[in-house]
Amino acid sequence: MSILELRILPPLAIARLGAAPHPMDNYDVELHPEDPLGYRRLRPAKTFQVDTDRGTITRAFVPKTLRFTENGKVRPVAPFLEVWALTSPGRLEPLTKGLLASHGLSPADVRWRFHVANHKVYRRTGQEKDKVDAKIGPFSDHKLHPVLGECPNFWAGKRIPMGFVQYVNPTDAFAEIRLRFTPAHGYVYGASQTAPPLEKPEGEDYVDIVYNASPGNGTWLGYGDQNVPTITVPGFIYAQEDNGASKGYLDDGCDGLVYAELTVEGKVLSAYGRVGAGPPAYAPDSFPVRTVADELDQAMLGPQVRDEEATLALTEEIVRRAAETIRLLNTSVMNGNPIGGRPRVASTMVAQDTNDTGRRFEPIMAPSLVDNLAVLNLHQNIITALRSGTAAWFADVLRDWDEIGDLTSKGRRKMPAMMRGADGRYLALTRRQIDLIRKVAKRGIFSADEPGSGALAASDTQEEPS
Amino acid sequence: MKRIDPKNLSAQLHYRAAGNPPSTLPESAISNCFPGLEFDFRNLWHHLFEGIELHEADNYVVGGEGELQGLVGHRLVRVAGQATMKQAIGPQMPGGRSDVLTSASNPGGAWTMEWSNSMANVLHQRAGQKVPCEFTKDKAPLPVWVSDDPENPEDPKVETEIRELTLRPIFAQSKVLQDRLAVIEERIAGAGELTESLCSPWQNDYRECACYYWAASRPDYVNVEPNEQGLSEGNMWLAVHREPKEYIPDNGRDTRLLTYEDLFRDWQGKLKFIVGGKDSD
Repeated sequence: MSILELRILPPLAIARLGAAPHPMDNYDVELHPEDPLGYRRLRPAKTFQVDTDRGTITRAFVPKTLRFTENGKVRPVAPFLEVWALTSPGRLEPLTKGLLASHGLSPADVRWRFHVANHKVYRRTGQEKDKVDAKIGPFSDHKLHPVLGECPNFWAGKRIPMGFVQYVNPTDAFAEIRLRFTPAHGYVYGASQTAPPLEKPEGEDYVDIVYNASPGNGTWLGYGDQNVPTITVPGFIYAQEDNGASKGYLDDGCDGLVYAELTVEGKVLSAYGRVGAGPPAYAPDSFPVRTVADELDQAMLGPQVRDEEATLALTEEIVRRAAETIRLLNTSVMNGNPIGGRPRVASTMVAQDTNDTGRRFEPIMAPSLVDNLAVLNLHQNIITALRSGTAAWFADVLRDWDEIGDLTSKGRRKMPAMMRGADGRYLALTRRQIDLIRKVAKRGIFSADEPGSGALAASDTQEEPS
Repeated sequence: MKRIDPKNLSAQLHYRAAGNPPSTLPESAISNCFPGLEFDFRNLWHHLFEGIELHEADNYVVGGEGELQGLVGHRLVRVAGQATMKQAIGPQMPGGRSDVLTSASNPGGAWTMEWSNSMANVLHQRAGQKVPCEFTKDKAPLPVWVSDDPENPEDPKVETEIRELTLRPIFAQSKVLQDRLAVIEERIAGAGELTESLCSPWQNDYRECACYYWAASRPDYVNVEPNEQGLSEGNMWLAVHREPKEYIPDNGRDTRLLTYEDLFRDWQGKLKFIVGGKDSD
């Protein structure tokens, strides 16, 4: 058995910011067997305890309870990225200490590189010197490596801490080759026109001043989006003064790539995966109706599902996610209903229709129909119908991907309703999601399809005796 | 020992590594990015065509290489015959008929559709191949309207030119299997590119972007219970206090809601996790 190629899995891992000292424990999300229409249940799951001094996993345990915070700080979500080996054209398996040894190699032969960046300021100013990059490696040790964002326009010696990476030293008990990325604390950083004081700022929005906005240097402090087509959409999405000038704030979020390399029988094999660090998932038992996974599925597999892939279970999962979204949404307000006798009480899609296009301001649905509990009940009824084998009758009310500009009364009522899509107009599902639902809808009223599991733990891996 | 069929790209795409919570998965990240939370995934489409760089949210060309540099400032209006935009249509007056919704800054009422959906078919069928890309002949700082049908008599006469550009595959390739890998190709997005158009700092977005974006990740209406009339009653997630239980609409000024400064300084102490619809820690 040879090692033909490497992979890093997951190919895209999401870290979540937080300043608590201990990373978030592992958990599963599953349907509550006694309340399949209710909230998904969070159950503690096998968690690795890493001794960061030694760089090893000291134990795997299932925590008794789940806590997302610790002493007023959020526990960061710190993903592991595993190296897998293609050992034959039909076999992909974890790269382990044992597999390395069988090729005369050791864990020290694995070389890692890590490159993440925060280019938010650069995206606005267009100045190369505003790019914040953190590069580490190559390294093969098991130390905790700080991820430090450097930028030509930072004051001398100033960097933004973006977390840590550590190559976990494999042991007999935990033999897989893996790296852990622990993201940053989720802090805000500031800018100044004069050299910052030595002591840390107090009573400010930021924890440190890093950005040099003195004359002839960075322009982020006081920057303002111009009315040109190159700005972000939406524009002006940065901390700003009343006059619209940028406060010069940066954050410690990032995205980037992690590389692994190994020389096998004189041949250099390499692989890369991706990471990102963003805000916490604040409703961990709920999932968005349209996700990055849906985007990747469509980009990978195309806008149409095969007939055999179109199941009631997958349809139910989409409806469940829609229910989880509207359940946490004040649908009366988002519908544009007058509240307390006042119209336009909040920023809503209804208001955006008028602001962006000049469309007449009027609620989307009949105001009496859209209380949160009524809308939730409607979605739960659909889930119930799907679980009983009823076809997806609601396919006809889905907004098609090319109907995003339809702001007629009927067009605005299509599903998903009241939400904004990536083009700024009403959200449509991916074409692949829509095709899935339509294929299921075309079947007989009662098919023998299985109901959804509601679990988010499925990986299509197989276990075999080791 | 675990193993995966190397050809099963879905299994690799959705693989959850041992010890990783579900919130590490792409299934937990929103993709109605305007601009987004974890990523602005629209940036996946920046470098879809070799030789040019597209705006992540518009059909506007922001960069070009070699002779394609001349396309900067032009608009990509059709790809393989598929229009990249739609017109906004609706009523402007009470009881009025629906018509194209235009403005001084958008005289054709044209809205660029998100690349993810508008390019899905052509990407699936022709990744790695040259495809006809139709650009405005002139620079076009304002949106331009054309339909799927170049012969449509109702289309304004927009002069265009066609270039054959290579459609770049989104995913990297396996040299051994001569097949795609599950990882996004390095040239499609470099470090920092998938987050570059998010808010700076992201905390700003928790106030800036209201509830019609991402309620399952950034909740809006919490601690909801039926009141005596059977209608819902609950808190606005950003409310400083949970009593009285009332929804405070975000008008941008209400001091009963967390401020930008609250979020910059202590978002971790102020924001509540929501489990089972209720405040949790």
